[in-house]
Amino acid sequence: MNATAQILHLVQKDVRIEARSRQTLGLVIVLAVLIIVVLGLGLGGRPAAFDATAVLWVAYLFSGVLCFEKTMNVERQDGALAALMIAPMDRGAIYAAKLISNLLLMFAIAIVVTPAGVLFFSFDLSAAPRQFAAVMALSMVGFAAVGTLFSAVASSSRLQGGLLAMMIFPITLPLVISSTQMLIHLFRDHEPIGGLGLGILVAFDAIFLVVSWLVFEWVLEP
Amino acid sequence: MFATLSPTRASFRAKPLNAVRLTNVGKRLDERPVLRDISLEIAAGEFLAVLGSNGAGKSTLLKLLIGMITPDEGNVELFGESLRTADPAIRRRVGYVGHQSMLYRDLSARQNIAFFAKLYGVDDVKVKTDAILRTVGLLERGDDAVKTFSRGMTQRVSIARALVHNPDLLLADEPFAGLDARSSEGLEKLFTRMNAAGRTIIMVNHDVPQSLRIAKRAIVLSNGKVESDRPTDNVDPELVLAEINGP
Repeated sequence: MNATAQILHLVQKDVRIEARSRQTLGLVIVLAVLIIVVLGLGLGGRPAAFDATAVLWVAYLFSGVLCFEKTMNVERQDGALAALMIAPMDRGAIYAAKLISNLLLMFAIAIVVTPAGVLFFSFDLSAAPRQFAAVMALSMVGFAAVGTLFSAVASSSRLQGGLLAMMIFPITLPLVISSTQMLIHLFRDHEPIGGLGLGILVAFDAIFLVVSWLVFEWVLEP
Repeated sequence: MFATLSPTRASFRAKPLNAVRLTNVGKRLDERPVLRDISLEIAAGEFLAVLGSNGAGKSTLLKLLIGMITPDEGNVELFGESLRTADPAIRRRVGYVGHQSMLYRDLSARQNIAFFAKLYGVDDVKVKTDAILRTVGLLERGDDAVKTFSRGMTQRVSIARALVHNPDLLLADEPFAGLDARSSEGLEKLFTRMNAAGRTIIMVNHDVPQSLRIAKRAIVLSNGKVESDRPTDNVDPELVLAEINGP
């Protein structure tokens, strides 16, 4: 079994567990929709359309953290992660598989939550739907890269949930600011997405994907 | 409870003299020395019992051998290859039963075993999965989720997970924990058969008479050091217990 087949095998296992237990997706989607409703109402019911991008980001951030926690807990519970660590494969494959599983969950959340945000804020996504999708997808890859790594760190700590949010949010700040600014310029000022903003997203993704892959083995060791 | 295991491939394989070799191994956990200057050679085909009181370093020793943790000092070799430089593929030759089940509780016993079998590159996953489930007496419950199992049944699935890839070396950390008398007797027989078929077994166990009965060699760990190392033939369990309990 080569590395790609191993990664796909691990992802398939995560999907099967989620399909059997249904303990993550439903919960995080409800949380994300609640965030949109609560923040929407807090902003006065009819906030500026471009505020929707920031609110959507808040929903993705908090539901994402919950995803990372839950998917890593599945591994820590009963020591299944140890069984993966001693399996005949590079431990980077465990990281890659967990990252893909988290991304699948986050994309599933986005598919449900984005239309909810669009409806709630009367946000006209039709002006630049592909650019919106590209920016959010690039941002989610970086966010999931960081979240997957730190969920492994936090899951071995007694602080767990609170610690994970405290670690992820400051690190992903450049990602969140950059993508929110790009989307605001895109939808409020009708300016095309700038190369600098995209460059920041791509660089962030590349750095954290490579670094996380490299250090994941040490993060796992008790 | 534990039926006959499928024929071993180990007997067809040329093996080096030592399955395991530890040279001056030391390990600290939270700044506390858990293992100190351990040097040990375990020949291929040996059945070693690792005995000692709580905190003596037995489980840490097994975790070092499986590569779950790395030594702070010294070197660990499996089948003549240092774990520091060995290809991860060497882990295909090792099976491990730990304190925890190391299973996914939401998956069925069959799904768990098939998942790990595929990960270890086992051919004919379905056939081997059914065979090992039959061996541990859980073929009929194979499609039930692990979370619905009792402690003893979960332990049997865990043993099946560790054996499905037919490892040359089995590391078992308190494998009898949670098993009823019948299952325990079945596992004893299974280990004896595996060892007779040429597999190396290293077992941590708190039951001294049982360990001396089924293993061929026993070491006693005390404060992270090897206190004694002897064949189990004609050894008085009281003497070993005295070594474990200390002065």
